[in-house]
Amino acid sequence: MNNLNIEETKYTPKIDLNCEEGTVSIVGKSYPENTFEFYEPVMKWLEEYFANDAKETTTINFEIIYFNSSSSKLFFDLFDLLEENKETNNIIINWLYDEENESALEAGEDFQEDFETLKINLISK
Amino acid sequence: MEQSLHSFKKYYNIYCDKIKKEAVLEITEIQHLVERDGIVFLSYGGFLSQALISAMTEALEKEADAKDIGMGVSNNIFTIFIELSQNMMNYSKSKDSNCHEITPEGLIIVSRDEDGNYYIQSQNIIALEDKNKIEPKLQEIQFLDKDGIKKRYRELRRSGQNTHGKGGGIGFYEIAKKCDSIEYHFKEINENKYYFHIKTKINIKKEK
Repeated sequence: MNNLNIEETKYTPKIDLNCEEGTVSIVGKSYPENTFEFYEPVMKWLEEYFANDAKETTTINFEIIYFNSSSSKLFFDLFDLLEENKETNNIIINWLYDEENESALEAGEDFQEDFETLKINLISK
Repeated sequence: MEQSLHSFKKYYNIYCDKIKKEAVLEITEIQHLVERDGIVFLSYGGFLSQALISAMTEALEKEADAKDIGMGVSNNIFTIFIELSQNMMNYSKSKDSNCHEITPEGLIIVSRDEDGNYYIQSQNIIALEDKNKIEPKLQEIQFLDKDGIKKRYRELRRSGQNTHGKGGGIGFYEIAKKCDSIEYHFKEINENKYYFHIKTKINIKKEK
């Protein structure tokens, strides 16, 4: 399988999915018009990665400055996908936020509470 | 809301008068009015596109930076602004029950009062069908406190029961999480079309 890299735009984050290193990185703002459509390749890539090509440890770095509500739903679905694969994979999730960005911290805490079985580290920058 | 809309009409009329007279537009005149009413950002127009929304958000970011609004408050302003403007964009694509397109006409204002509280408000025309979807959510939100909103937001996000093609159907709960109060009003234009006003307020954060 191939790596997937999507360049950052004014309203979508920089996305780097690396199957050789087992790393996933989503950094920036997220308020696309068609959120589910935009993230479809990302979700597909993750499904394929966990089905065929997962590394011993997978590290996911999220650093979202702000996002619209459909992105919030999409991230929830993404966490759901990670939860489904947690038994057979070692998954480390880092939720990075600026210490002044209370909303980003709160969003990370919500995901922590919603996915208690996942290891989500909240990391202040 | 009414007051802001009134102010807006005032600027707009001044602008139109000047154009009609083919005179040079006195930008300072509009600037004075905008400053007096604490308006940080104002946009009025027809069809909203994603490109336009992101350009407006970028302008708003520059404005927030220049006015030294802290990251916590400014990110809440941006999120509400994006939710309201993307809603406007989507509602303007709805058809009314006679299959006529809804006039893409909307107004969105970000303003600040003397005490430093922020307001983000919008007005646009929506179809009856959309009113019927929006109103119960807003009614529910009015009855909930901050914790209740947070709980409901997470419940709906988890269940996906409001999820549709464009999103999770949780936009108003997202807005309610990020502001301190919401006022809204529907005004009938005809049996198929309504004006929809919504005004959100972000209270000034006390110095820690």
